[in-house]
Amino acid sequence: MAKINKSVEDELIIARQELAFQKVEKGKRAAELGIANIELVFQDEEKEKRAAELIIANKEVVFQNKEKEDRAAELIIANKELLFQNKEKEMRAAELIIANKELLFQNKEKEMRAAELIIANKELVFQNKEKENRAAELIIANKELLFQNEEKEKRAAELSIANEELIFQNEEKEKRAAELIIANKELAFQNEEKEKRAAELIIANKELAFQNEEKEKRAAELSIANKELLAFTYVSSHDLQEPLRKIQTFCSIILENENENLTENGKYNFQRMQLAAGRMQQLIDDLLAFSRINTTELVFEKTDLNLIVEEVKTELKESIQDKHATIAATKLGFANIIAFQFRQLMYNLISNALKFSNPDKPTKIIIKSRIVKGSEINNNKLSSEKEYCHIMVKDNGIGFEPHFSERIFEVFQKLHSKEVYSGTGIGLAIVKKIVENHNGIIIATSELDKGATFDIYFPAN
Amino acid sequence: MLLKQMNILLADDDTDDCMFFKEALKELYLPTDLTAVNDGEQLMQLLTNDTTELPHVIFLDLNMPRKNGFECLSEIKLNAKLNGIPVIIFSTSFEHETVNQLHKSGAMYYIRKPSQFSQFKSLIQQSLEFIAQAITEQPDRDNFVLKALDK
Repeated sequence: MAKINKSVEDELIIARQELAFQKVEKGKRAAELGIANIELVFQDEEKEKRAAELIIANKEVVFQNKEKEDRAAELIIANKELLFQNKEKEMRAAELIIANKELLFQNKEKEMRAAELIIANKELVFQNKEKENRAAELIIANKELLFQNEEKEKRAAELSIANEELIFQNEEKEKRAAELIIANKELAFQNEEKEKRAAELIIANKELAFQNEEKEKRAAELSIANKELLAFTYVSSHDLQEPLRKIQTFCSIILENENENLTENGKYNFQRMQLAAGRMQQLIDDLLAFSRINTTELVFEKTDLNLIVEEVKTELKESIQDKHATIAATKLGFANIIAFQFRQLMYNLISNALKFSNPDKPTKIIIKSRIVKGSEINNNKLSSEKEYCHIMVKDNGIGFEPHFSERIFEVFQKLHSKEVYSGTGIGLAIVKKIVENHNGIIIATSELDKGATFDIYFPAN
Repeated sequence: MLLKQMNILLADDDTDDCMFFKEALKELYLPTDLTAVNDGEQLMQLLTNDTTELPHVIFLDLNMPRKNGFECLSEIKLNAKLNGIPVIIFSTSFEHETVNQLHKSGAMYYIRKPSQFSQFKSLIQQSLEFIAQAITEQPDRDNFVLKALDK
């Protein structure tokens, strides 16, 4: 802008100098025209003097006059020529005036342009300021960009770290993948081995399945035979009761009504007969109970154990009174059991405790129940995760030697002669059978003269 | 001791048991009139025959030919004319579930046929005394089974 301005100003200065120079030139020509005019006036006066002299000499010089007229004519022509030249000069002066006007117009035009240039200059200054403003804004924007750039660099740095971390993890994964590939191959190998074994097992399995079927057939046959046997045991025992009872009754009638007709030996023999028949009755009763445990349907139902113990206590009322026994059984709760079998179980255990009581002290029987985890019992027949119903029947009777703890549950196994303790040796076998029907176990713990404890565990659900 | 004549109806196919029963009543010197039938069909015919006087008590065996004791008991209990007569079960067998069922069916007492004649007499006497006292309400399960007093 400044430069443009300056060149315009320079042009203006040059144009002004040119105008001044032309004015001086015009002045000089006008002076020269004035001098030429004065010269012509002087020459006219001279010519009149000479005309006078000539008139004198006229006559002398008529000839000369004529000559002079010729010369005058020539001068007129010359004059005319000068006039023409003058006119030409005036025309040029007029042209100069026009040119001058033209220059003045141009000058004005140039001034207008200079004004326009000033305006343009101002405009440029304004634009300059605008540009400066924008430049300032751009500086701010630039700073912002710089800040963002720095942030981006920071992030880039962070990303770079993360990238390195990922690369590291990638490497680790590749290592693991490599390990897995090895493990995979190992597994594939093991798999093949297993498939081979599985194929072998399939063959063995078929063989076993065949054997199994055979065994199942036999088991089914045996089961049928077993049921028939048990049914036979039940029916025969049941039907044996009646004639036996008749023998006993007739025997008692004879002892009662024919007493005076019998010798002492006869009476003794009848009494022995009564005792034998009595044992046989007990045996039949026990056999009946044992066969019933095996033949009846197993229906599990939630049953109040307290109720069962109460029922058994009622049934054994006389015996409990005879032995002055106390039975402590409270809050036994409910259990999922085959009710009539469990009643038989309780009956046998409690009557056992009463039978083998210590004659020197009052009989005490404690019955307790609880729910317990298999893991707390430490018995390999129980699964550690399952919950079991634990029922304990403990007495303070004569007990037995620890090494009999398994044998007492076998059928017809007795520890005492029938003369001392009557019994058939079936009672505890029935108890064990019932516990097995409940998928449970029974453990007997005792020492001689220190009472006996029977612990029963069966699945709570 | 019973004061008035008591009509007893015994349903039992076993002639020995019938004889023991008769003998026991004789030895007890009770003023009774015993009628015995040998199966359930005979029992029900006799009870539904309008000409016969109804007994004061029925002693009912369970295991009988043609119609067993269970059937007789339920027929008696469903008959409005008969269901007031006390029925005493008189059987050789003794199974808990069976006893429960009979108690539910409305029998008055349960007597397991004893092996000693003295017990036989004792149980008949006990049961007849209960009947004579006009105890018509069925006892609860605990007192349903009669037991011989002496042994």
